Amino acid sequence: MNAIEIIGLCKNFTGKRMTKIEALKGLNLEVARGEVFGFLGPNGAGKSTTIKLLMGLLKPTTGLSRIMGVESSQTLSRTNVGFLPENPAFYDYLSAEEYIKFVGSQFGMEANLLATRTEEVLKRMDLWEARKRHMRGYSKGMVQRVGLAQTLVHDPDVYVLDEPMSGLDPIGRALVKDIILDLKKQGKCVFFSTHITDDVEKVCDRVGVINNGQLLVVDSVTNILQRGIEGYSVLTISPEGVQEENYVGKDELQFFIQRSLQNNQSIEKIESRSKDMEAFFLEIVAR
Amino acid sequence: MRISAPVCLLLAGLILYVLSISPFVTYMLNKPIEEKLGYVPSLQVVKSLSADLKELAAASLVMKVMMYYGGEISKGMEGKITPEQIDLQGMSRLVHGAVKLDPYNMDAYYFAQGFLTWDAGQFKIANELLEYGMKFRTWDWQLPYFAGFNNAFFLKDFVKAAEFYKLAGELSGAPIYKSLAGRYLQASGQTALALAYLISMEKGETNTTLKKNYQIRIAAFREVRRIEEARDRYLASAGVVPASIEILVMEGFLSPPPSDPYGGQFVLENDGKVVTTSKFAFGAVKKTSRQRAGDIHERN
Amino acid sequence: MITIIGITLKGIFRDRVFQGIIALSVLFLFIPSAASLSMRQVTELSITLSLSLISFILLLLSVFLGATSLWRDMERRYTFSVLSLPIGRSSYLLGRFMGLTLFLILTSTFLGVLACVMIKVSSSIYPSDRPIVWSLLVLTLLFTTLKYILLVGVALLLSTVSTSFFLPIFGTICAFLASGVTQQVYEFVYSPSAEKLVSPLIKMLVTALYYFLPNLSGFDLKVNAIYGIPANFTGLGVTVAYFVAYTAILLGGAAILFNRREMK
Repeated sequence: MNAIEIIGLCKNFTGKRMTKIEALKGLNLEVARGEVFGFLGPNGAGKSTTIKLLMGLLKPTTGLSRIMGVESSQTLSRTNVGFLPENPAFYDYLSAEEYIKFVGSQFGMEANLLATRTEEVLKRMDLWEARKRHMRGYSKGMVQRVGLAQTLVHDPDVYVLDEPMSGLDPIGRALVKDIILDLKKQGKCVFFSTHITDDVEKVCDRVGVINNGQLLVVDSVTNILQRGIEGYSVLTISPEGVQEENYVGKDELQFFIQRSLQNNQSIEKIESRSKDMEAFFLEIVAR
Repeated sequence: MRISAPVCLLLAGLILYVLSISPFVTYMLNKPIEEKLGYVPSLQVVKSLSADLKELAAASLVMKVMMYYGGEISKGMEGKITPEQIDLQGMSRLVHGAVKLDPYNMDAYYFAQGFLTWDAGQFKIANELLEYGMKFRTWDWQLPYFAGFNNAFFLKDFVKAAEFYKLAGELSGAPIYKSLAGRYLQASGQTALALAYLISMEKGETNTTLKKNYQIRIAAFREVRRIEEARDRYLASAGVVPASIEILVMEGFLSPPPSDPYGGQFVLENDGKVVTTSKFAFGAVKKTSRQRAGDIHERN
Repeated sequence: MITIIGITLKGIFRDRVFQGIIALSVLFLFIPSAASLSMRQVTELSITLSLSLISFILLLLSVFLGATSLWRDMERRYTFSVLSLPIGRSSYLLGRFMGLTLFLILTSTFLGVLACVMIKVSSSIYPSDRPIVWSLLVLTLLFTTLKYILLVGVALLLSTVSTSFFLPIFGTICAFLASGVTQQVYEFVYSPSAEKLVSPLIKMLVTALYYFLPNLSGFDLKVNAIYGIPANFTGLGVTVAYFVAYTAILLGGAAILFNRREMK
């Protein structure tokens, strides 16, 4: 059973003067358990719409989505998910601690466990000092961290994160990457959307690119990076001790190495020269 | 198909609504009078609470009383209730409240004149209310006209009546009201006076129930006039006042025999005056003297 | 659902609504002196004023809290984070409703006790010729509270379909105003005096509205409490049944609409 299944998902909105806006056009996607999936796309591509449909906040025009085998239209589908909305907002008259406990209780957590887990996640998200303050007084980054904390508290198997890095400072971003990698180690499924390619490259197993409501490419990060290799830069040192940097074409590496050895040159360093994720992304979207 | 909880709730609510609505409506329709009519707690308070909506508050009070009275009168016509059951005290209280809120509210005076005099017999209170209104509605000839009528017909104070009629004449510019004073201000002209008053009131009334009420009263007074004319013809031919109405009927002076639309009996008094046991109101035959004397005027 | 009730109450208290009520309830202290304006019925007037003040405060609460609670959740995007938890939307809505209901009950209890004290004070200064029937007073408070609970239902129903707070707030106020007069208007159009004035079409329209709109005039027992007129218990039973039925319809409808609502 896949953690997330999206089958032929379409969503139309009614725009101004009753015009039809197709936000999502027949999306098909499967995300396995234990997989970290990056959902990449420019602003307005349909990332948030997909996620809202997945979480049952919107009703699909046609098609359906499932989380852990349960259809999104059912409340039950959300029992094993931690969800972080885009630019989240939480009851601002509550403190972070109260809110985390409220979320935990909604997942039916037992009180003692909830108390220890709350402490754990608040400390992890660096909110322990501020836990008693009402969220009304929190900064944007703090609210974002509360949002992450509330996805972690009940230790679900699936995580759906809409723009988890937004609003965070570099330290916060590093923390989020850390957490995602951690979850990956624990065998959890993380599905997150972003428009920052760097995030994807570092943490994802697979990536999907969406634009104008259509899923353009789904592939593993390794494949993409592999496919993107254009050549290598090879640093050689001659017997006289002269360093030389050579650019070697993709298919010429073997030949170059042999020749260097014949010439008694030692190979100091080989680096692949590839298009990075960003170039890949721009290329796909521009197509 | 599984029915969801909200639909169940909605259906259960609808079923219960269908079951409970008819007893609820019946209960609301049969609520006791005083609960329907409400009350005016204290005028100072109402006045300050109604802020800049005093006229609206007054108008709604008058509307309430009129609708209540209209309903009760139509029940009375069908013989369902007796006047004791009409809360005249409450009505008076509300109308007085209304004119304190908005002393210019014509409906209040007009309407109070109707029920305070014939139904409640509170002529002095009616006149006090009219005189209060005259201080504000200085252009309104109807108020002195009513007051004149009350003085002439009910209180027999012809001097005062003449004053009011004169005022009504001056305000309306129609000489008829001045001449009214001269023409009717003797005991013998009472019936004609009442008829003139009632016909003018009936003409001005738009509420159909109240209009009907006036028409019944006019019919009663036409009967009185018929008896009076028969009495006078009898007096002319026999030289004495007839002893009873039955004599007039038996000897052919009065045909057909008179009938009181209010259900009373016409009686010829010793001095020849025609009265009726109904006192020109529904069911007044049973009215007790205690209620007549009761103070219906609630002053705050 | 119970946690939603708790959250709702917490939200109301943390928004300092209750402090506002306490500030307003200072007005109760003036009731005995205001009541002495009436020469004959000081006690009656103090009962009137207390009940009217309570009624007014509850009206404000039900209109503003009822109309803004759901609207605010959507406007401030709390719904995204809360409705994506394993909470059914119906239970969320019911939780909100119950929370508001509890708060109304709490407020009316608090104000009711205060009012009783004030009435006791003014009746001890100017003894009334009619005995105060305390049980009727409590009954009146109870039905006033029921009336405003029903109004909260109206406000919630309207906020499930509206994207702004105008419709819920003004709609609820209009429903409240209309609910007080439907009975009178209905009786008027069916009275013989209106026979010629009212066309059958208007009659039908009035009848339809009479059954459609809430009829809250039946919940007003002020006259009974003020003049100690005994209440009709069968009638009150029917009124409670009407309350339950109408509220169930409102909540059922609101839940259906809320379930279908898209959280954009």
